[in-house]
Amino acid sequence: MRPTVNIVLCGLGGQGILFMTKVLAQAGLDRGFNVMGAETHGMAQRGGSVVSHLRFGDVAGSLVRTHSAQFLVALEENEAYRNLPFLMEGGTMVANADSGRFPVDNVRVYLGKKQITCHSVSAEAIAQELGAPLSSNLALLGFFSGFDDALFSHSELRATITKISPERVREKNLRIFDAGLEKAIKEKGA
Amino acid sequence: MKKEEILLGNGAIALGLLEAGCQVLTSYPGTPSSEILPEVIRLVKSEKLNTYTEWSTNEKVALDNAFAASVTGKRAACCMKQVGLNVAADSLMSAAYLGTVGGLVIISCDDPGPHSSQTEQDTRFMARLAKVPVLDPSNPEEARKMVGLAMDISEEFRIPVILRPAIRVCHARQNIAFDTLSSNFKKGIFEKDPMRWAATPRFRLILHGELNKKLKEIGKRFDTLTQYNFHNLEAGRKYPLGIIAGGVPYAVIRDILEEQKRNDLPVLKIGTPYPFPEGLTSEFMAVCDKALVIEETDTLMEYLLRDRNKVLGRLSGHVPLEGELVPQVIYRLLDRTLTELKLQPFEGEDDSEAMELVNSLQLPVRRPTLCPGCPHRAAFFAIRKSRPKAIFTSDIGCYTLGMNLGVVDTCLDMGASITMASGFYHAFEQDGVDQPIVATIGDSTFFHSGTSGLLNAVYNDSRFILVILDNLTTAMTGMQPTPSLGIKANGSEGKAISLERLVAGCGVDFIEVLDPYDIKKMMEVLKNAAEYINEPQGGIAVVIARHPCLIAYKAEAIPEKKKVTITEECAECNFCMDRFECPAIYHDQELGRTSINKQVCTNCGVCIQICPKKAIVEVAEA
Repeated sequence: MRPTVNIVLCGLGGQGILFMTKVLAQAGLDRGFNVMGAETHGMAQRGGSVVSHLRFGDVAGSLVRTHSAQFLVALEENEAYRNLPFLMEGGTMVANADSGRFPVDNVRVYLGKKQITCHSVSAEAIAQELGAPLSSNLALLGFFSGFDDALFSHSELRATITKISPERVREKNLRIFDAGLEKAIKEKGA
Repeated sequence: MKKEEILLGNGAIALGLLEAGCQVLTSYPGTPSSEILPEVIRLVKSEKLNTYTEWSTNEKVALDNAFAASVTGKRAACCMKQVGLNVAADSLMSAAYLGTVGGLVIISCDDPGPHSSQTEQDTRFMARLAKVPVLDPSNPEEARKMVGLAMDISEEFRIPVILRPAIRVCHARQNIAFDTLSSNFKKGIFEKDPMRWAATPRFRLILHGELNKKLKEIGKRFDTLTQYNFHNLEAGRKYPLGIIAGGVPYAVIRDILEEQKRNDLPVLKIGTPYPFPEGLTSEFMAVCDKALVIEETDTLMEYLLRDRNKVLGRLSGHVPLEGELVPQVIYRLLDRTLTELKLQPFEGEDDSEAMELVNSLQLPVRRPTLCPGCPHRAAFFAIRKSRPKAIFTSDIGCYTLGMNLGVVDTCLDMGASITMASGFYHAFEQDGVDQPIVATIGDSTFFHSGTSGLLNAVYNDSRFILVILDNLTTAMTGMQPTPSLGIKANGSEGKAISLERLVAGCGVDFIEVLDPYDIKKMMEVLKNAAEYINEPQGGIAVVIARHPCLIAYKAEAIPEKKKVTITEECAECNFCMDRFECPAIYHDQELGRTSINKQVCTNCGVCIQICPKKAIVEVAEA
């Protein structure tokens, strides 16, 4: 039996957490995992804190317990901090945040102690450069897919995005997603 | 042909309804139930089925309609959120006595947390009160199967059956495989039987007796169920502690015990908490010294278990009395109980270090706010500015967020903006106090339960201003159409109902319709309205603030876009942020001044009207 993979995605209402969750969930299904997840709907979608849980494996419940997520994907800095307790030792955090000032020192110490890898990039800036300021979710996914410890390869996620994007935004989505990958490659090279 | 899709729990329920041959589905939207009906419509369209669907004007109306379909022998269902079942309670209590012909399933979605509701109430208690069976699924796949079970039990025993999925079932996602669906063509017949369908109290006593018999039989059936009610006791073994669980907590417990490899802790899973499977439970209790009950949201099973010496749970302080039982809460309470009973505790780290770190960061709490460009914001600004001393009664919808703007003082239940306004009026009028009152209610909420309160207020000569915030949709729950649009749930044409005529029909003589984007105009109208309600021959003044929701109507919602900027005239008084709270206006820390976030700004231009220094101006097009 393959071990369970737990992912927590977070950000603010309206940032596209649900779409990001959908992409990863579909990619997991295509890989042959059983998929279970939990989403935030309703009032919090009006700009409040939004958290999505995603689990691959033979699990019964939809929620990830604290200290047991391998991945934390955050579209906003403060939400990344707020959801830190979900990450397990040795996990990976990917955040839409300026790597110059993220994470703050005491968080950096904690991440080091728990051997948590942190990749951060201003996904917002990537999306904005391509004229789609509201698509930082796709830029962050692209960035996430570029690292060796990523859950899915870039081509896997690319295929999923191609499959589930509505036709009128498909090309644009892929462009932003690819731009995210480029940043990751640059960071790895640096 | 087998298909596999990642479905939302509500999608799995929709699938279960169609697999069970549901011919009529009615609903009023409410988180976390809102997606069930749209998901049914999606499947009806893609699989070319004949199921009738409707957004009813409220939950009672929805249940009455579904009940009638069941009386004709068709399979029917009705879905709503848990507080919606309060509205439908009158119908439910009586329907339990009358019984059904075709299967009738009521899906009432609970919201432990609460995430998007007024209360954490437990639908299972409503089922107990009405004396109807209730099923409690643990995940989407089980919810899908339970819909079929509910439909079968309902039809076999001629009783309405409730399915109670909690939010973590409704808004869970799971991969689900399914076959081609087909329509149920069963024809409806109404067999007249006034002693049943129009039973007077004398016959109700007989029907009550029948109901009790049905429950007893269903209880026996539930005691033998193994797919939904089961335990993992080993024959001949005794246990110091057993766990009795149902719904979402069962799924969480299963995962924790598997991860911790704890075969020493047996679990009794109850999928049918009422009628309670007594036999199965007695069997379980007999071999456990203590039984810890973990259920959402309240204490139904805990009350139904008779041996108080053995039972641990909320009443004994082992399980929190309020709030959602998320995995870390269940993990901690199980671990504490194990330690207390001197059993082996769980292995692994706790999350306290991370929690302390997060607390030390003092992160800002992100409260939800009205969207940028939201017409409600403009209306609220005008209301507060025009009637600063008023009591602001309000209602359920996006506009409850007007609380952030100081323009929502009360929010009780659907329609209470109007009934509380008339209540306040008479309470103060009795003392001779002239207290201004402004009520705000959304268009969908007004159609749901505004009219009866308005009729009452007009009839009893209450005096207040009622602002109907008409954004031409049911925004909070996901943009379902309202009766004023004349568009039905499946997108086909219905008959449009005029809000103005409806209000006039309630006996209101002062009705003004305006666009709240024009704040000056709205303030003028509110001033006239205030004068009108104070005239001896006056009455209630209704202002319909009509402007389309920006999410539902996107581009067309702002026909005249105005790019804005903030000039040097800005005094950094923060008035715009405190009183208008548009997400596009923020304090730029690097520049040290108030700025517009162009990515967020919708170019509605309303803020131009609100700055006391007139420092927000339209940018001339280059």
